[in-house]
Amino acid sequence: MAEETSVPERIVSRQVLAIPQRFSTGPVMGRFLRELRDHKRIMANKCPKCGRHQLPPREVCAVCHVEATGWEELPPEGAIRDFDVVYYASPDPLTGETRQVPYVLCWVDLDGTQGDAPLWHLLNVENLAEVRRGVRVRVVFADERHGTTEDIRHFEIIREEASPGAGTGAES
Amino acid sequence: MANRVAICAVAQTKFEACKRDVRTQGLLWEVVKDVRAQTGLDFGPGGIAGAVTVSDDVFDARTISDGAVTDLVGAHFGSEEKVAADGAQGVYYAAATVLSGHHDVVLLAGHCKESQPASRNMVTHLAFDPFYTRPVGLDYLCAAALQAQAYMARSGVSETQLAEVVVRARQWAARNPVAQETAAVTREEVLASPMIADPIREKFMYPVSDGAIAMILASETHARRLTDKPVWITGLGNCYDSFFLGERDLAGNFALERAAQRAYAMAGVSAPETAFDLAEIADQYAHQLPQYAEGLGLCPEGCGGRWLDEGGPDRQRVNRSGGMIAGNPLILGGLARVAEAVIQLRDEAGERQVAHAQRAVAQGATGPAGQLQTVVVLER
Amino acid sequence: MSKNRNAAIIGSGMSEFSSHREDVNQPEMIHEAVIEALRDADIALEDVDCLLHGNMELFEMVHQPDMWHVLGDGARGKSGLRLTTGGTTGITLACAADNLVASGLHDVVLAIGFEKLQEGHTTGGITNMADPLWGRSLQTGALTGTGAQKVIDEFGEERAKLAAMKYRTIMDEHAMRNEKAHRRLRLERQYIKETADNSPPLVGELRMIHMCSQSDGACAVVFASEEKVRALGANPAWIVDHETVHREETMVFGSMLSTQRAAAERLFARAGIANPRGDIDVFEMYDPSAWWGVDWLRDFLLLEGDEHLKMIENDEIVLDGPFPVNPSGGVIASNPIGATALVRVAEAAMQVRGTAGAHQVSKPVRRALASGFGGTLWTVLMLLSKEKPERRVNTHG
Ligand SMILES: [Zn+2]
Repeated sequence: MAEETSVPERIVSRQVLAIPQRFSTGPVMGRFLRELRDHKRIMANKCPKCGRHQLPPREVCAVCHVEATGWEELPPEGAIRDFDVVYYASPDPLTGETRQVPYVLCWVDLDGTQGDAPLWHLLNVENLAEVRRGVRVRVVFADERHGTTEDIRHFEIIREEASPGAGTGAES
Repeated sequence: MANRVAICAVAQTKFEACKRDVRTQGLLWEVVKDVRAQTGLDFGPGGIAGAVTVSDDVFDARTISDGAVTDLVGAHFGSEEKVAADGAQGVYYAAATVLSGHHDVVLLAGHCKESQPASRNMVTHLAFDPFYTRPVGLDYLCAAALQAQAYMARSGVSETQLAEVVVRARQWAARNPVAQETAAVTREEVLASPMIADPIREKFMYPVSDGAIAMILASETHARRLTDKPVWITGLGNCYDSFFLGERDLAGNFALERAAQRAYAMAGVSAPETAFDLAEIADQYAHQLPQYAEGLGLCPEGCGGRWLDEGGPDRQRVNRSGGMIAGNPLILGGLARVAEAVIQLRDEAGERQVAHAQRAVAQGATGPAGQLQTVVVLER
Repeated sequence: MSKNRNAAIIGSGMSEFSSHREDVNQPEMIHEAVIEALRDADIALEDVDCLLHGNMELFEMVHQPDMWHVLGDGARGKSGLRLTTGGTTGITLACAADNLVASGLHDVVLAIGFEKLQEGHTTGGITNMADPLWGRSLQTGALTGTGAQKVIDEFGEERAKLAAMKYRTIMDEHAMRNEKAHRRLRLERQYIKETADNSPPLVGELRMIHMCSQSDGACAVVFASEEKVRALGANPAWIVDHETVHREETMVFGSMLSTQRAAAERLFARAGIANPRGDIDVFEMYDPSAWWGVDWLRDFLLLEGDEHLKMIENDEIVLDGPFPVNPSGGVIASNPIGATALVRVAEAAMQVRGTAGAHQVSKPVRRALASGFGGTLWTVLMLLSKEKPERRVNTHG
């Protein structure tokens, strides 16, 4: 016989629930991902009315309510507009694995961007003290690319003495 | 009620099993663009004052699924509110935002890609409680099968009659340019389709479907400015049933009867059998056509079998769109019914037009075995 | 077109809020809030003709949870709707309740917001708000240090950090007087600096102590028509107006008009509020972190420069001060996300109705403001008043 207790056991039911998905990318985001994968090109789309870029590209300009039909390649270099140094170890929802901390996220205004369209990605940096607004960074593309935003591996800080090329993507 | 509200424009995508070439945003934009072109409206002061959207986080696999469409519905520095249920509920709420006097002109826009998740049954399985009904494997299909068993036994509806429902649905769907399942089928082909969840055969089910629908709703003054064919929403009603299937009369129409009573009381409808020039029923499964016809009062309770035999669907011009069984995503089923009613009342239904249509009833269902029912009465 | 008829809040209820409500399941937790709201309004479930329900499905992985929750909220046989808009869900429900009552479709509406965050992974759930094609590998739920950085850049590190912690401490002082509050830490003003320094950093200068809690809980609020208010002899907090301002789906900070300021400008213009600090008596703000609380105070009250910092530094926002902010302790104290924004409305209504008990502000409350926050920097504002509003001509189309 189980011993009587004043607080009964509260049973918790543990369930892992997941539904596999297949997301269409469509003609707009699809073009962005294709250019990234095949040519290491960062293509922004552009509102024909106000001229602002959209990164990532989206069907419509939210300000002008018209289709963003223009396209322009933006260079893989720019300046940090905002950044987050993340110390909280959250799970990557794509893999379920807890991320290694600290890591740095940054919003980068690629050179020539019109309007508010910073490219958001990881910044690979050893010394956190180097992360400041305005710092010049460049995109490092993944060697194997699959048509996802992970085809951009991360940004890295541009150093005058750094040797050019070597997977920086700047040559494309 | 002091204010009146009308639907002034409707647009639907073609419904298809898998729109692989477009993401949900592209799908929704197609119909938003269409209703804006019909009305000449832009977003903002003097134009579309706010948006009510219809989508679902689990179907979209996205927390705050409406966040994906803010730009498309003009809600960048504007108003948008999402109804996470069947789109007829979206009509209910969008109408309330106008009747209240809060907005003069509202965009109602819904989207869903049922082809995106590996199985829509995996989505609706999650609607069941984690302790009691999930472990037995319930999803909305299984719930509908239990409902079908109970209903068919009580109302004397046979499998052959249900096959005829599908045959007829395809005939009308073939005349609806946005319908998905338009190929003719024979009774024998329907009856030979695989048994999925007894007594529901494959062709008794609505197909997996992708699509989007948009509408413009407006107050009386604005409606007359936007269109010469406003369709007035004169009755609205909805009602929940209980959750556990065992607690419910699955053969009956507890929620639908009450939803209909509320809508009919508002519209001043006292004899529903003869009150409507057409009816649009959200028949996710073939048995729901006669069952919900009973619930709507189109035929007496328990007489769905006889109603089918005596040509009730044709006499009362039910589901000339082809119905939901011809294909709409789950959460757009009721919205597509309202859309068809509007098209009919505007005399724009082409080959499937009901002559001199003045008044219509449209129904939508949410949840397992139609736990939440919505009824909309529309008049020209 | 003018508002068809007036609506008022006549009662509210909240479940117990805590990090783990493993003593109840979801319908049971909602039931706690519903029962308390009905008691507070002194009505029976039979008097309610419509229920509104909202939360975020992927947090608990329950699809269309209003179906199951009928067991706890009593919706069987009643009208109802489910609306969700992210963090703003609760206040969207309040706006919807106002619209539904004002429309004439319903006389008594019960709005229910809930979240049982412990049953899923909250930060993972929020991260799934990012587009599936971009951002999910980057987003860290609702955590960002950019709000802190903005205040630091503008006012210097020392003043900014002190203001954020002073704000945080005031919120805790308020929470200590609200028995429903989830986190009640007994922070002491003399240890502000040490408390911050000892708190684990989350992102940049956003530390655990600054950030909102993660709570299980439900909130229910009863809305009634003018006729029902009179018939029931209820104590009403009238709804003057509400404003919803969303933004496109990118997370871009700085450089653009805030939705907080845009919503306030529009709402105040319609309500004839020229001097928000004088015309409004108390503000329940959806403050996801102390940093955003500090920063948004300026936008919501249409202030310039460092006036908002001075309000904090001069103790103007304390419970007995001239402009009390979050007498409840705010979102940093309790955050069951789908309920959170409805709690703001409920708390604002309690202040107007004079039913807030130990955290009732000492000044008379004629008007109260409540805000919601969600999505990609979305804002919803609702204005309540003690006096029945004139039914105004709609100027926002
Ligand atoms: Zn533009």
